[in-house]
Amino acid sequence: MSQNYDDDMLVCRCEEITVGEIREAIRQGARDVTGIKRRTRAGMGLCQGRTCEKLVQAILRQELCNAPEEISAATPRPPVRPITFGALGRGEVE
Amino acid sequence: MNSFDVVVVGAGAVGTSVAYHLTKKGFEVALVERGDIASGTSSHCDAVALICDKKPGIDTQMGYASIQVFKELAKEFSYDFEFHQPGSLYVCETDQEYEVAADYVKQQQADGYAMRMVDPYEMQEMEPYLAKDLVGGIWTEPDSSMSPYKLCFAFVEEAKKLGLKVFDHHTVQGIKLNEKGSVEGVITDRGTIKTKRVVNCGGPWARELGKMVGLDIPIFPRKGTILISEKTARVCNQKVHEFGYMLSKFEDINFKRNVSELVEKHNVAFNIEPTKADNFLLGGNREYKGFDINTEIEVMRAIAERGIRFFPIISEINMIRAYSGVRPYCEGHLPIVSEVEEIPGYFIAAGHEGDGISLSGITGRMVAQIMAGEETDFDISKLNFSRFKGQTFADDMAE
Repeated sequence: MSQNYDDDMLVCRCEEITVGEIREAIRQGARDVTGIKRRTRAGMGLCQGRTCEKLVQAILRQELCNAPEEISAATPRPPVRPITFGALGRGEVE
Repeated sequence: MNSFDVVVVGAGAVGTSVAYHLTKKGFEVALVERGDIASGTSSHCDAVALICDKKPGIDTQMGYASIQVFKELAKEFSYDFEFHQPGSLYVCETDQEYEVAADYVKQQQADGYAMRMVDPYEMQEMEPYLAKDLVGGIWTEPDSSMSPYKLCFAFVEEAKKLGLKVFDHHTVQGIKLNEKGSVEGVITDRGTIKTKRVVNCGGPWARELGKMVGLDIPIFPRKGTILISEKTARVCNQKVHEFGYMLSKFEDINFKRNVSELVEKHNVAFNIEPTKADNFLLGGNREYKGFDINTEIEVMRAIAERGIRFFPIISEINMIRAYSGVRPYCEGHLPIVSEVEEIPGYFIAAGHEGDGISLSGITGRMVAQIMAGEETDFDISKLNFSRFKGQTFADDMAE
């Protein structure tokens, strides 16, 4: 995970966010996955960061020169996987 | 860390707006925030600036003035906070609600606001997916929408260009007073900042910041929950909410809706709003649970159930996330925007409850006017902290 990513590489496929946009968010003060998310939308799409979170953490570590344990993950929120409003409203949930 | 004209504590919508407006007025400003910008209430909320949910009088006056501020800033700022003005639609389920709504609209129209009653036919034209059995509604033309956290980032980025210094990840531990009892500095976990003026923009945490100087600020966390959909084709074109929401917001109106036990139990009232990213937000409820922002499955279920009653089409759409946040409820429902008489140099701009985004624009403008010794745009004596003089408040709020 130590290679230098190109600025135009796609990180979040759901929201189409690139490495360059993540780096710009860090310049604006983002220090963790949640800060990146609010500034860029990376991790706000259908998969809720399942694909990109590790990559976002790696870029944060690289840019901020932090140790892996210093970069926190995004806040876990329900649902674990998407559910229709209908199923939820009818109480069809575990 | 050196000295500043003003230290603003709290980087939510209100704090960032106050910091921006003060910087713009020519003050040297430091913005101190315990976490990241927009990491508290202003990223756990909805995204609208409305007048339709305000009481006639100062509440609406502030709401309208705030929308005008956003409108101007959207043109001025290079940072896009997604401001747009689609209007909003309040919907009534019963004739009784419709009558109360019509009375309310008459008062607002008399004050010159662009609100009007719409019939079911017109509502269907505006919102084709809305349930067909509703009796009518209120359409409010000036009502607006924006991204709440982008609004905070926009205020900060634009103010930085004018000289604002941001101290994020700095926790305020105390306010330093001199022998005369006036503000002298702000003590953080990473050093002390000298200043003669501090603005408490702590939102739900304003009470905590008040205690540091012995103030009993009656602002308490009130929890709300919102569900987010996947990206979809347009379901709704603007904020749509049930008129019952207003009635549940103002506790002095005694009104009973015909809703399920679950919806009643969790104080759930339907509201939906489209986002620029093609999702929609579905809310909401209000409850006192301290600072706990865990999202409860029962509340989520009640919100979904109530949402489907008004927009049956969402039944087949996926929810991808749910979140809860705390809003700063202030005793008496109006926010506090004033200097504190007892402590020269200590200002409060907090307690906007669910209207923090909505009123942040005008709040920042008013604080800058107060501090510059100018007259405020309108009479805000009702927002003065002195209204609580001699009163004490218990820490815990219970339903």
